[in-house]
Amino acid sequence: MAKPSRQHPDDARFDDEFLKKLDYLYIVSRKMAASGQRAKRQKKIVGSGLDFADYRVYSPGDDVKSLDWRVYSRTERLFLKLYEEEEDLHIYFLVDASRSMHLGRPNKWNYARQVAAALAYIGLSNLDRVSIIPFSSKVEGRLPPAKGKAQIFKIFNFLDACEAGEHTSLRQAFKTFVSQNKRRGLAVVISDFYDPDGVEEGLNALRYHRFEPMVIQLFDERELNLDFHGEVQIVDCETDEARDITVTPAMLKAYREVFEDFCTELEGYCKSRQILYFRAPIQQPFDELILRVFRAGGFLK
Amino acid sequence: MQWTGLPIETVLGVAGFVAVFITLLYLLRLRKRRVQVPYSALWGRVLAEKKRQTDWWRRFKRLLSWLLFMIIAALIGVAALGPRSADEVVEGRHLLIMLDTSASMGATDVTGGLNRFEVARTQALELLGSVGGDDRVMVALFNNRVQPLGPFVRETQPLEAALRAATLSANATDFGQALSFARDSLRDRGDAELIVLSDGAGLQNLDLSEFDPGEAVRVRHIAPGERSENLAITGFNARRYPSNRLDHEVFVEITSTFDRPVEARLELMSEGRIIETLPLELAAGEIHRQFYPGQAFAGERLEARVRVTTADAEDVFPLDDRAYAVLPQARKLRVQVVSTGNLFLEGPLLLNTHIEVTRINPERYDPQAEFDVTFFDNVAPPLPASGDLVFFHPPAESSPIAIRGVDDKPILTDVASSHPLMRWINLQDLNIARTSTFRREASDTAVASSFGQAVIVDRKLDDRRLIAVGFDLRESDFPLRVAFPIFILNIIDYLAQDDVDLMYAFETGRSVHIPVPRNTGEARVTAPDGEVRSAAIHRGEAVFYTDQPGFYVLTPGGEEPVAVAANLASPEESRIAPAELQLGEREVGRDAEGLVFERREIWIWLVLLAMSLLLLEWLTYNRRWTE
Repeated sequence: MAKPSRQHPDDARFDDEFLKKLDYLYIVSRKMAASGQRAKRQKKIVGSGLDFADYRVYSPGDDVKSLDWRVYSRTERLFLKLYEEEEDLHIYFLVDASRSMHLGRPNKWNYARQVAAALAYIGLSNLDRVSIIPFSSKVEGRLPPAKGKAQIFKIFNFLDACEAGEHTSLRQAFKTFVSQNKRRGLAVVISDFYDPDGVEEGLNALRYHRFEPMVIQLFDERELNLDFHGEVQIVDCETDEARDITVTPAMLKAYREVFEDFCTELEGYCKSRQILYFRAPIQQPFDELILRVFRAGGFLK
Repeated sequence: MQWTGLPIETVLGVAGFVAVFITLLYLLRLRKRRVQVPYSALWGRVLAEKKRQTDWWRRFKRLLSWLLFMIIAALIGVAALGPRSADEVVEGRHLLIMLDTSASMGATDVTGGLNRFEVARTQALELLGSVGGDDRVMVALFNNRVQPLGPFVRETQPLEAALRAATLSANATDFGQALSFARDSLRDRGDAELIVLSDGAGLQNLDLSEFDPGEAVRVRHIAPGERSENLAITGFNARRYPSNRLDHEVFVEITSTFDRPVEARLELMSEGRIIETLPLELAAGEIHRQFYPGQAFAGERLEARVRVTTADAEDVFPLDDRAYAVLPQARKLRVQVVSTGNLFLEGPLLLNTHIEVTRINPERYDPQAEFDVTFFDNVAPPLPASGDLVFFHPPAESSPIAIRGVDDKPILTDVASSHPLMRWINLQDLNIARTSTFRREASDTAVASSFGQAVIVDRKLDDRRLIAVGFDLRESDFPLRVAFPIFILNIIDYLAQDDVDLMYAFETGRSVHIPVPRNTGEARVTAPDGEVRSAAIHRGEAVFYTDQPGFYVLTPGGEEPVAVAANLASPEESRIAPAELQLGEREVGRDAEGLVFERREIWIWLVLLAMSLLLLEWLTYNRRWTE
């Protein structure tokens, strides 16, 4: 695994200026929440709360204290009475740290860190439990769930210390993630989604384990406006796979079309499964992306 | 097809190297530049679209590029071989280009506002530019002498530079000398060609049928010139009357080469001022000769000009419209007569107003007195310190020329009629009672002799002359004859060197020899155009070359300057009608047809084709039609 290079002027800086920007974003997010743009999503679990929620058939081993004897008297069948219980929202930021995210300067990794930090700050400010999980083909360590605004510096330090991973494999990484995290919650996936095996299996793994995925696709416009032409050998930075091609203007145009198709496919997949989807070039200021996320409302309680 | 370029072994070697080099470059070009991309799968999709193109086509496109380069290399290789068509003559020739720089080539009758020389020079330059690479060329200028610009050479660039620097002369043409030079230069040269660029002025009356340049030599004569209208002063001279040194007689010869009658005006000028204007009417081709007596000139420089006054006539050769002459300075001679009294001798001297005569009795004779000429009558005292000497009947014991004997009944049998003393007179029937005969030395000239015994002797001393007459005037009938005063005048003119023969007028293109005082170490000459150059001193004469018509001024050391006139004075040269060179039975070409080395430079087209293919390859490669 390659170590991150030394700090560069184009790298993300988690300094006071960045914090001020996050505070500003937080205020904006509260205004949006107060103006009715509240999220539909509410984290409620059925447990030992006070508000009645539902019944379910008794199973051996259930707490007999929750049996509804009135129902038993009428139906002679054992039903458990379930109550709603509110719990802190768990937000997992699954940040792609594969090599493709580290290509170029500035690169998508820096941008992803800024986005993750900003959203994490909003979450911390809302007293959510925020966890950062870098991944590539596997989960590259994790920041345990943190709560409270003061934890933002932990997040900064953790993101600063993250190193580049291997190739992208959403399926492998998210399988590991769902097996390690039993607490369901919002899973914000920040990635370029350059996975040769496709993204569906990985996102489905989240969905099937009752995580609520949210997709933020990053791309670099420089990857579309290539500055080379003629006879070249392109090498995949993650797989080292090489291809000899002759780059012509027509080919560049075809490449842009293929990329657009790629993004459209991902967006279509997300929309068809009611997954919030955002696409942003890293040349766009990250706070604009954050505001877009706010406007979509999926991130706010 | 024949090959005149590099040896085929060399070309094949170089071509092989180039082929290997191109192939290496081609292979190097196949090594693609590596570019790292984040996700090559997208390119895979793009390439999937391109899969319609089959692999063999892609390989063919690459091969096509290589093939283009190989064709380009092959074309350049063939170009280096110097391909020529089989019927093209590529053997080197020897070309001798002779360019006439004589005065008539200055005629402006050719179109374009040029003169004949400039036209001929342009033709010569064109010839130089069109010769083949194996040809050897010599260029020679000629007028009345030949000036080669170099030996036979292949490289014509220096010749072109020398040719551009060549200038027109004011000399006549010596075709005999020029053709002799050509014959000697082309002798034993294979495939030789003589090209004479000359208007042919001077060829009209020249028989060159005997000239044989050699069997292998082809001769061409290219003659610029279109018209013959010219009015020229072909003769101009002036002489002073012996009796009156202030009056002159002028002779002018004017030649018209117009083919119709023209009117003209002759102007006589002295020291730049017109002193006489004479109208002329000249018939077609007339040679007008005329004496103009009684001309009084104030100076020593005479000039004659002739101008056509007919309105629609144009003199296309102005160089010979002027002629120049120099008169000797007219000064009074100081003459001393040492005699006891001889009216026969004193009479002719006293009658001449340009002579200052002093009679001295022998007893009062002073050898230190300075006179131009001293006559001794029947006396022979010590010689004076300066001046020329004339002795009449010197005494035997003191005679400056040894007396051989006395002839009591002399008959003058031999008279040197060409001697200046004898001009216009005849002494054959002179009656002399008695005369002394002189013992001659080697340098003496016997002007008159009696049966081999010298009676009148002319001797040259170191810096003066001595004339001795053996008889007493009173013992002959010589003083009673008309010839006697002329004889005395001849003596004066001869000793004073004031004869008309000494009026210095020369033809241009000649080396002029002018006597200079003894011990003169250097002399300068000022040419008519103002250029000052030094004159060589050889055996008491200043020698310099005249190449311009006009007045040359010779200044020998610190002495008085001497003016010399130079004229074209060549009737042949003034007959500017173009004439053709005739060499008997030999064929002489009249133009440059076939002379220009028309090489079909195939190699140029091959190189252009190679460059076009290179451009095509560049275009197709940049447009990705080829790989």
